[in-house]
Amino acid sequence: MAILSGALALAGGVAFGQSPAADAPPGQKLYARHCLSCHQADGYGVPNMQPAIKGGTWVKGDAKALALFVLTGGFDSAGRKEGASHNVMPPFRQLSDDDLAGILSYIREKFGEGSPAVTPAVVAEARATLPPE
Amino acid sequence: MRATCFAKVVRSTLAFPLLMAPMLMGSAAMAAGTDGLALPEGFSATVVQEGQGAGRHLAVAANGDIYLASRDGLVAMRDKDGDGKADETTKFGDVQGTEVRLFKNWLYVSDNVGVYRYELKKGELAPTSAKQVVVDGFPMERQHADKTFALDTEGNVYVNVGAPSNSCQQKDRQEGSLGQNPCPILEKYGGVWVFPANKLNQKAADGRRFATGMRNAVAIEWNGPQNALFAVIHGRDSIDSLFPKLYNAEDNATRQAEEFHQITDGGDYGWPYTFFDTKLGHRVVAPEYGGDGKKTPDAGKYPDPLVAFPAHWAPNDLLFYAGKNFPAKYQGGAFIAFHGSWNRAPEPQAGYKVVFQPMKDGKPSGPYEVFADGFAGEMADNNPRNARYRPVGLAVGPDGSLYVSDSQKGRVWRIRYGAK
Repeated sequence: MAILSGALALAGGVAFGQSPAADAPPGQKLYARHCLSCHQADGYGVPNMQPAIKGGTWVKGDAKALALFVLTGGFDSAGRKEGASHNVMPPFRQLSDDDLAGILSYIREKFGEGSPAVTPAVVAEARATLPPE
Repeated sequence: MRATCFAKVVRSTLAFPLLMAPMLMGSAAMAAGTDGLALPEGFSATVVQEGQGAGRHLAVAANGDIYLASRDGLVAMRDKDGDGKADETTKFGDVQGTEVRLFKNWLYVSDNVGVYRYELKKGELAPTSAKQVVVDGFPMERQHADKTFALDTEGNVYVNVGAPSNSCQQKDRQEGSLGQNPCPILEKYGGVWVFPANKLNQKAADGRRFATGMRNAVAIEWNGPQNALFAVIHGRDSIDSLFPKLYNAEDNATRQAEEFHQITDGGDYGWPYTFFDTKLGHRVVAPEYGGDGKKTPDAGKYPDPLVAFPAHWAPNDLLFYAGKNFPAKYQGGAFIAFHGSWNRAPEPQAGYKVVFQPMKDGKPSGPYEVFADGFAGEMADNNPRNARYRPVGLAVGPDGSLYVSDSQKGRVWRIRYGAK
């Protein structure tokens, strides 16, 4: 069967986007790869789908707690309150301490009103509290 | 009623491809009377109402009364003088959901866990009768929970039960996690279940599974002349972040089609095992199930779509036009409301438009056309939250006008052809 994708199906190949520049900090590049499509480039998330992180308590709060949250992922959907976002964040335990520290430092600086950077040591400390996989 | 006409042409730099802009600029009727929307020559738009809650689907009765499902509840609107603007608006009932359909003297509605109906008595705008439960007991989920449905001419209701999952991975949305095989989610979700529409107090488990392998068919509609069910299905997300060795961000933004199918009894449309790849022009095995970026499933196992729409456009309503107002070329064709993407980021977002798909005898008869565009506006930061409007629902009035609802501000438009 012939598939009509139509003369107007030009969704690809557009010359602009929000991919970070080649010389962007590693944390920004990692954010683009692992986080951006859900939380968006501006950190505001998508209404009803994924929550905003910009200005939120997580990015401005305790660094180890933030690391633990991202390592373990979002809350179980059954326990969440009405009105929360549709999608649940997966755990990012597969990322190295360095990579996760880079992402967390980037989002704290950009979305957390310049909150201090997160060191790989803090991520390692949080990781050490996790149960074995 | 405020009816703003945005002086600036609706060329949204982020919401649709640049190559489309010249075509729109040439054909759009941008004079007063389009409310800032880009419409084909000869069409006009009137704002019926706004601000009654985030709009979802809507329906128009034979007397012209308009029923809108919104996130804040059900809304009934009446235009008493025929100018297209609501003169009387009232909220009713206790159902907050997406679907609203008329069948004989009944108003069928749904929320995330059930389908209900109200009797509409002659002359009344908002129903005064008590709500009846047609079917309830669908599991409460957060993802893809809206129970949209279609009604056939014989009195059956076909309920879309979306899959609370992206691709049925062993660990949902986790990089590299393989798919569950067989996918247990398909036992209760990811398909269409059919129930008699006149039988009350049914449970979800009483339904018969009509079709499967559909991630989330929000846009589902019965085609009366063809006596057949059709749907446009939301495709999967995140092929790049889940399988970065196979796909990059541009692939994710463009390759997984939103598939338009005729839905047949017993049909299987391939989710989560496959998706239709718009770049390759054929169906591929999903990476969770052994796909390598190009491997095809067994020939004939899953049907090709009638039309493969671009990835992530989010088809949220489908309507077959049989009204008398629009020109002949629209007769029997399909209008599809695309809510617009989020998962295309960091690539430019897209969708946010109403598309017309010409059809003849239930089959596509030519390439689709953008019918109404300019909903999103400039959409700052490429973020859907900044879209001015996002089209969701479609309905046809007794005079053949097309009604479109919006989820950002709850705006409802009446679109007509001709001077009046």
